[in-house]
Amino acid sequence: MSYLPLLAKEWRELWASRSFWLLLLMIGPLVGHGFITAVGLYAEASGIGRGPAALPQGLTPLDGMLAPAFGAYDLAATFLLPFVVIRTIAAEKQSGGLKLLLQLPGNLSSKIFAKVLVLTGGWLVTLAPGVIAIVLWKLYGGHLYAPETLNLLFGHLLRMLLSAGLALAAAAIAENAASAAIVTLGITVGTWALEYVAAYRGGFLQQLASYTPTAALRNFEQGLLRTTTMIAMLVISVAGFALATIWLHTGRTWRYRAAGTALVLLAASLFLLGASRARASWDLSENRRNSFSRADEAALRQINQPLRVTVVLAPEDPRLADYEQNVLRKLRRVLPQLDVDYVASGRTGLFEKPEDHYGEIWYEMGGQKIMERSTIEEVVLEQIYKLSGISAPQKLDDDAFSGYPLAARAHGAAWIFYAIWPLAIAFAWWLVRR
Amino acid sequence: MNEFLQVEGVTKRFGSRFALKDVGFSIHHGEVLGLIGPNGAGKTTLLECLAGLMSADAEVIRSAQQVLTHSALKDTLFYLPDAIVPWGEQTVKWALGFFEGLYGTPKQKLSDLLAPLRLAEILKSRIDSLSKGERKRTVLALGLLTPHPLLLLDEPFDGLDLRQTREVMALLKSEARNNRTLLLSIHQLADAGRVCDRLVLLSAGKVVAEGTLPELQARANLPDAGVEEIFLALT
Repeated sequence: MSYLPLLAKEWRELWASRSFWLLLLMIGPLVGHGFITAVGLYAEASGIGRGPAALPQGLTPLDGMLAPAFGAYDLAATFLLPFVVIRTIAAEKQSGGLKLLLQLPGNLSSKIFAKVLVLTGGWLVTLAPGVIAIVLWKLYGGHLYAPETLNLLFGHLLRMLLSAGLALAAAAIAENAASAAIVTLGITVGTWALEYVAAYRGGFLQQLASYTPTAALRNFEQGLLRTTTMIAMLVISVAGFALATIWLHTGRTWRYRAAGTALVLLAASLFLLGASRARASWDLSENRRNSFSRADEAALRQINQPLRVTVVLAPEDPRLADYEQNVLRKLRRVLPQLDVDYVASGRTGLFEKPEDHYGEIWYEMGGQKIMERSTIEEVVLEQIYKLSGISAPQKLDDDAFSGYPLAARAHGAAWIFYAIWPLAIAFAWWLVRR
Repeated sequence: MNEFLQVEGVTKRFGSRFALKDVGFSIHHGEVLGLIGPNGAGKTTLLECLAGLMSADAEVIRSAQQVLTHSALKDTLFYLPDAIVPWGEQTVKWALGFFEGLYGTPKQKLSDLLAPLRLAEILKSRIDSLSKGERKRTVLALGLLTPHPLLLLDEPFDGLDLRQTREVMALLKSEARNNRTLLLSIHQLADAGRVCDRLVLLSAGKVVAEGTLPELQARANLPDAGVEEIFLALT
């Protein structure tokens, strides 16, 4: 059987969907707002109008323009895309078209895959405002670094697939579109609650919270491509598609559905457990913010002993966030035999009292132990070199990042995103509906 | 007529209520078999179980003494549900073209269906804008574009006026003469008597009788009775 007629049908159905047109209509102004605000702030930080300028090393297009502008896509994937996805199934269930679809040539998983392919294609169409923002940025004289830009786009694609997986599963399992929407949004709110609680509790909850869509996307916004994040996002997406396949077929028994669901959840859990052990990651940021200097990395890779770090800082302590950002995140990428224990509990409870040794960070290697309270990269590295017996490398200048100031206004952007884009979408909708 | 499929022991429960209880009958090659019974008899449930769209608690479907699974049946039968509005925002022309492309149906087949189903006048209309009868004719056309040797049709004349009903009956008879087997679920007993070669009488989830009109007349001991009288006598 040719797959093309099925793909063509799904594509046509997508363009007949009001929720898809609403997504297209809204994504322009959303991206535009993020882009225009970001360009304005970037220009001020660059010293536009002879105002005070920030240090140029701190001015990166990834933080200054790309992440804010493309943040609109996270919003769209959370609140707009689920309705588009749910409609692809709910409309057929409601209209009776599902009874015909189930009988068409090919198995149900190939039909679900066709829907996923088409949704991905639709999502690529919605990237048009993002591409316009990038083009405008370049026209204004802005700099872009291809690896970190493409990494961010890849992150948003995985984010979209994650949203699609959850929404497809909800639409297949729930009785109707409204229930599916409630379930999907409930899961989203649940992940926000998890992140909020994990910030104060740490431990396993914090590990779990690192897999939420927002946390996962943050990696890409920081220019990091982590195997564990990629695998986790793909596994959850595929699990959603698999659940949709199991539940959508009306001719399946409850026993089959229960067994299939258990199998999918077990397989997903095993894959996620495996993914949590995957260490491979790539720092694609131009300023190497996720890595030590090349010289330090080369020196640290010489260490072949395990390093145990015991941190006596509460999860909500900002020093811990600094330490994670400046040291631990980079250390994990370089030392495969790194174990980190967080031994302090939260300090915000009514009956919490300060722990002994609070604020200490202990480093243990080869039977030796050193304590250091500092969370500054250079100080910590000095301690690690002392423990390992490796001499600290000479600092080189080739890692120096000069930054990319851009004192330019977002000329014409408001017209494009707030007027031309919505009018173009409205016109296209009228053409398609005629 | 030689046997095409043998259906045995179809049982379906919803909670403690039996919608179907040990339903069995045979389907012969090239016949128009009528499944008749009042509302709630289990006709739609039976068709959906046969099509694999509803899981039966028990059922056996054989062809030439070999038990068939629903995967094997998928190439054999196609079920046209009643009261559906598939792909409502698409046009009739698109839907017909979709099935043509999917099944590689020769163009001549669709041309042959345009006149008897009066599709030419509604080709450019959106499916969700059609009347009940127009939707019924569109869905019927979709089913007839498939290559499946057995079609299950749920209430094929529902929503059609008298003239359209007669035209569709003639079309279905023509399909049967061209070796397509049809199982029609009909609650209008008079229509069943006009178009069906054999009948299966279903009442409260059980098969009450099966056979040609003369066989059912003999069974009911009503030699000149119509389908309605036979049904009332036997149920």
